[in-house]
Amino acid sequence: MAEEFNTEDMLDMYLLENGQLLEKLQETVLEQKDAECFDEDAINEIFRTMHTIKGSSGIMMFDNVTKIAHKLEDIFYYLRESKPDNVPHLELVSHVLDVADFITAEMDKIRDGNDPDGDPTELIDAMDVFLKQIKHEITKVEKELPPENVYVAPNQFYIAPVATSGSRFYQIVITYKSDTQMSNIRAYTAVYALKESAEDIIYFPEDIISNETSSDLILKYGFRMLLQAQLSEDEVRKIIDTSSEIENIDIREVAAEGFFNSDFLKPIELDTAAAPKQEKEEKTEEKQGKDIAPGDYVIQSKEPGKAKQLNKNKQPKASKQSFINVNVEKMDQLMDLIGELVIAEAVVLQNPDLKVPGLELQNFQKAAGQLTKISTDLQDVIMSMRMMPLTTTFQKMNRIVFDASRKLGKDIDLEVVGENTEVDKNIIEHISDPLMHLIRNAVDHGIEMPEERQAAGKPKKGKVTLSAKNEGGKVWITVQDDGFGMDRTKILKKARKNGLLAGKNPESMTDREVYQFITYPGFSTNETVTEFSGRGVGMDVVVKNIQTIGGTLDIDSVPGNGSTMTMKIPLTLAIIDGIVMETAESFFVVETGIVKQFVSVKEDMMIHEPGGEEYVMIRGECYPVIRLNRYLSLSEENTPVEDGMMVLLELEEKMVCLLVDNLIGEQEIVVKPIPKYIKKVRGLSGCTQLGDGSIALILDPASLIG
Amino acid sequence: MSEEMTTELSEGITQRDKYMTFKSGNEYFAIGIEYINEIIPFQRITVIPETESYIKGLINLRGKIIPVVDVALRFNQPPLEYNDRTCIIVIDVKATVVGLIVERIAEVVTIEEEDILPPPSIGRSNKVQNKYVYGIGKTGDSVKLLLDLDKFLHDEDSSIAEQADSFAELEE
Repeated sequence: MAEEFNTEDMLDMYLLENGQLLEKLQETVLEQKDAECFDEDAINEIFRTMHTIKGSSGIMMFDNVTKIAHKLEDIFYYLRESKPDNVPHLELVSHVLDVADFITAEMDKIRDGNDPDGDPTELIDAMDVFLKQIKHEITKVEKELPPENVYVAPNQFYIAPVATSGSRFYQIVITYKSDTQMSNIRAYTAVYALKESAEDIIYFPEDIISNETSSDLILKYGFRMLLQAQLSEDEVRKIIDTSSEIENIDIREVAAEGFFNSDFLKPIELDTAAAPKQEKEEKTEEKQGKDIAPGDYVIQSKEPGKAKQLNKNKQPKASKQSFINVNVEKMDQLMDLIGELVIAEAVVLQNPDLKVPGLELQNFQKAAGQLTKISTDLQDVIMSMRMMPLTTTFQKMNRIVFDASRKLGKDIDLEVVGENTEVDKNIIEHISDPLMHLIRNAVDHGIEMPEERQAAGKPKKGKVTLSAKNEGGKVWITVQDDGFGMDRTKILKKARKNGLLAGKNPESMTDREVYQFITYPGFSTNETVTEFSGRGVGMDVVVKNIQTIGGTLDIDSVPGNGSTMTMKIPLTLAIIDGIVMETAESFFVVETGIVKQFVSVKEDMMIHEPGGEEYVMIRGECYPVIRLNRYLSLSEENTPVEDGMMVLLELEEKMVCLLVDNLIGEQEIVVKPIPKYIKKVRGLSGCTQLGDGSIALILDPASLIG
Repeated sequence: MSEEMTTELSEGITQRDKYMTFKSGNEYFAIGIEYINEIIPFQRITVIPETESYIKGLINLRGKIIPVVDVALRFNQPPLEYNDRTCIIVIDVKATVVGLIVERIAEVVTIEEEDILPPPSIGRSNKVQNKYVYGIGKTGDSVKLLLDLDKFLHDEDSSIAEQADSFAELEE
């Protein structure tokens, strides 16, 4: 059983790390997509990323991923070593993105428990052709070609150093006292200590943690390291020399040339009979995957690449934030517990037993105040833990604009503003799809072809602005393009054709009302269907998706100058401000944001239609009335309106009056889902626990008003 | 690891063959004890509108909100009057936690595997009820109907009396 867990952990780790690597990769690639060619850092980074993915996929035995990563690594190996001049950059970019897509798709399959069965042959062939092409174009260099980057077993690769100026190269031999226990662990400590500041490091024996016999080797021949770092000899010595068991440290600085090809590590391999056998063992170990000790995995995943990346960015060490990855389930659990704690606190502090007249509670009140402060802080902390910046989501959009604009032959810039705005993790998951759709729409429908733009006197390059900001307890995410905007008459024509104008006077409709039509199912004014949009499925789905997380979509457009779509979404789903009300002896909550006002009405303000519909006149405006008890079929009673309370709700410019029996008050509500066992109920979006432990149902305004 | 396994095993042994029995209508029903989380006294139920009639609503079990099902209604038996003796059995079937409102809890009995018989084919009228019973267990002189909880919770065909009726009509 433990073994099983181990592989699962490894798989999780594999998916997580490679996912992060791929995201970083895409970011790097897209950053330089408009450049002439990749700069050296980027080439090294892509090379290293592919190398890491290849290595870890090899361990997990995902052959297809291994193969394709290897092929791309080949290309970048060539680029790095031979520095060819005229590489078709765009083609290269698309190869990298294709590979990233392929691996992402495979990882999705793995995550869903399927086999990664995608066929990389086509992509590999294309890359082969590409590689030959760039090699062919510079035949002169070909003669000095570095030896082919042959694919052997993943662990026999190492990543060659980035030759940064200021790097120094050392050969190090550490000899331990002959009676040292577990010298392999000590050696690993030294490697680990150096990793922090090393640009590259390789050592022999390689398998110091997993192979116990390596400690004998180390005692016999010393532990040998090749180190590239921006450190002086003394600094290196200081880092290594922490253990009293070390007998001698031999550090020799060497020249950069041929550094990693030196025979420094080899002698041991040659004169130990154990070495080949070890390698074999290692291989079987890799194959089995699960036998690897946890420590070993740390080494694998911490391939030199990571330390180097940090060095390369020249980030001062102090500002390095440390992160841990936490299972979201655990976070949710903590969130639940804190929610319960807050409620339990209310139960204790407002306990009826305390309300004995004449009771002196000074000390109790003091302690209670302290408790309340702590629990409020606790709530703040957990909320902030769930908040994530929109950066990654926005970066994905970069890719979409790039892809779409290239395929459509448009030249488009994406400007991103306020990507550091933080939003609850659950919400981020929900906005990615709608946002993608809005961006595609902007690129496809919004921005005109370059010729049209020039004719209209606009700059040839189109511009899409994606921005996020906090306003009024909500996050506003805006997608703005400088295209030709929306055509009122065209939309109206289409609306008439689809029978949406029945009973409405198009002349009296405001522009915004007209634009709302595009959110109806089956509505697209784009004559031609393209790969990206225009099939008319879309805006309605976008709006629905946004509504499920309690958000709204505003559409605005200036003909000739582009359109603006604004998503207004709540910061969090977990805690909302709500108004608690009572009807038919049940409690209900509606979010405070959509409540316009509370009105006590008299019977003479009511209008009864013969069909049973009711309306109410409030200050000259007429609103439809929903009796909550009848809407939810709780009771058939028609309570006199004087006994109840009207709650005026507004959502997306539609107003409705909700008649309830009593108002209880406003409070912060910890939203919980309705148990799955109960099928979806119309008009309800969740439930919550009130201060006294009773349950209230949360009303879904979209279905009440829609 | 081995310790874990042994505790699991021994739990398996102690729980096997043990059933919790309760009365609904005139019959005694039995549920495998491994499904039972706890038994709680009857408490205030928040009604969920527009759902199956046997789902009475939600209760708050120490901060966890769980649905409760009225067993009598589920069996199309006449509805109960809830009183002090009414209990809620909290069960956990494949991570679905549900409370069952039962008229009266009887006892925990041991029914050996050889004492469990397949359900006899009862006449047409009892068909609906028969669906959730996978066996009949003998204990001493009495028999208990062994409930198939998965079907009991999720079988929709016959969940609502009206639906059952309409099915019957179709068959005729």
